[in-house]
Amino acid sequence: MTSLVTARNVSKHFGDVRAVDNVSFEIEKGKITGLIGPNGAGKTTLLKAVLGLTDCDGELSVLGLDPFKQRKQLMQNICFIADVAVLPRWMRVSQLLDFVETIHPNFDRRRAEELLGRTKIRKKSKVRELSKGMVTQLHLSIITAIDAKLLVLDEPTLGLDIIFRKEFYGNLLNDYFDGERTILITTHQVEEIENLLTDIMFINDGRILLDQPMESLANTYVELLTSGENSATAKGFGPIFEREVFGKSVFLFEGVSRDKLEGIGELHTPSVADVFVAKVKGAEA
Amino acid sequence: MIGHQLALLQRELWEHRSIYVTPAAIASVVLVLTLAGQVTVSAFGEGVDMAIVGASNVDDVHRRMALGGFLGLVTSIFALGALIVTIFYCLDTLYAERKDKSILFWRSMPITDAETVISKLITAILVIPLVALIAAAATQLLVLILSSIWVIIQGGNAGHLIWASAPLADMWISSLIVALAMPLWLSPFIGWFLFVSAYTKRSPLLLAFLPIFIVPMLEAMLPGRSHLLFNAIFVRTVKAPLFNVDEFSWFSDDKSFSMAEETISMIGSLDLTRFLGSPSLWAGLIVCGLFTTAAIYVRRYRDESY
Repeated sequence: MTSLVTARNVSKHFGDVRAVDNVSFEIEKGKITGLIGPNGAGKTTLLKAVLGLTDCDGELSVLGLDPFKQRKQLMQNICFIADVAVLPRWMRVSQLLDFVETIHPNFDRRRAEELLGRTKIRKKSKVRELSKGMVTQLHLSIITAIDAKLLVLDEPTLGLDIIFRKEFYGNLLNDYFDGERTILITTHQVEEIENLLTDIMFINDGRILLDQPMESLANTYVELLTSGENSATAKGFGPIFEREVFGKSVFLFEGVSRDKLEGIGELHTPSVADVFVAKVKGAEA
Repeated sequence: MIGHQLALLQRELWEHRSIYVTPAAIASVVLVLTLAGQVTVSAFGEGVDMAIVGASNVDDVHRRMALGGFLGLVTSIFALGALIVTIFYCLDTLYAERKDKSILFWRSMPITDAETVISKLITAILVIPLVALIAAAATQLLVLILSSIWVIIQGGNAGHLIWASAPLADMWISSLIVALAMPLWLSPFIGWFLFVSAYTKRSPLLLAFLPIFIVPMLEAMLPGRSHLLFNAIFVRTVKAPLFNVDEFSWFSDDKSFSMAEETISMIGSLDLTRFLGSPSLWAGLIVCGLFTTAAIYVRRYRDESY
């Protein structure tokens, strides 16, 4: 496996605030990694560092390049969609295609036109005449037609309705992802993307709380629903988080085998959102 | 690289339509006024004859001066338009992309910040003046064609009265020199405006012009009462070493009417050697370079936009 992004002890300060605090991780080729964290957790700062939009301390290598110093070369192989619709509003769709075609060495215009042909977006339209959903569709079509090694998505579906959101992730998997490409995505709507992720990272207060493949999540984390005396037994196994639901206790365990917990109560595989809340709250406690 | 730069310049023309809409609007107004003038004059039957007879009786030198003066006026309207377009363009270009966040899209493309900012500098220094110049030349030609048609209809000799008397080559070559030279002379302002545009979070117009007035005022209040910055800022706007001011006196001075025909030329009033040899020009270009570098630096290193 080749590693596309390697971060070692990466930090970024804003005055006294440590937005990213001594973070280390790797992202391998062909993975779809979700970076999940509450607002202000350092997600965007970390993405900015990966995209070369901000400098940082520590070692950060993206596609073997220093993202801040070699941004131009990096952008030949990286695409990103930010959380705001950032396509220039005055531009016509045709002008956008002309521009990207001249500037981007890895852009396949015919592919972009083919993808746009499936939408209601007309080439004569200006970006400002399109709905927010259509702007995102347009951006994704252009990016899909760029043969990039890494795609970075920062809250790409923020403010879109459910139809566009479903379609966006559908297109992302069907048209963009081919097993060769790599995606790094942040969102706070974890439920929507947990099915397409191969790997997941949690970040809070600038630190990485969790970083592992999705498939191992079910082995590592288990949720136990119980009540009464069994609760005390459950606590003995050291749950990382505990909450009350309809008078029953829900415990979340990390690295405790299911065999040990069977018989105490109902066992479930927790959702990513539950694990996330447990890790964030657990870290605060 | 050149392909990239052309695409970036094309992009500026797409975004800032005022670069060609303004000259087109000026051209329309000039042409409409020309036609309106002809229609009005034609309404006075005898006046027309008088005008043509009058024009025919004037000697070649004066006819040349009159036509040259008129064409020069047309050029200066376009130059004024270009100046205003340049100011607003420079102040808007790096500010608007941050305001609407499209800077994130531009920076997601494999282009450096230097390439982008330089494309904006080239637009201000070269593209805007040249577009205005071409529009001015086309307008002058159209005005002369319209006037010829009118003169012919009125029974005059357009070839002699207009085409032999219009100092077109002189006019266009001198205009081209001015269009290439004056933006270089005013380049410190262009650099400053680009920097303000890249730097400010609000009201670039105010931030750009306030220091231009306040800094020389403060300077004058300081002990020593230096006028260095006052001269650098205000004298620069009114006095460029390109223009040979003495030669200009034919414009107002009666003695000039005795001048030989060949000396009455716009090119003759330009002194390129003095212009290119002027330390002020090169100092200004360095200031422009410093401000442009600062604008690139701000665009590259400041990340509050995202």
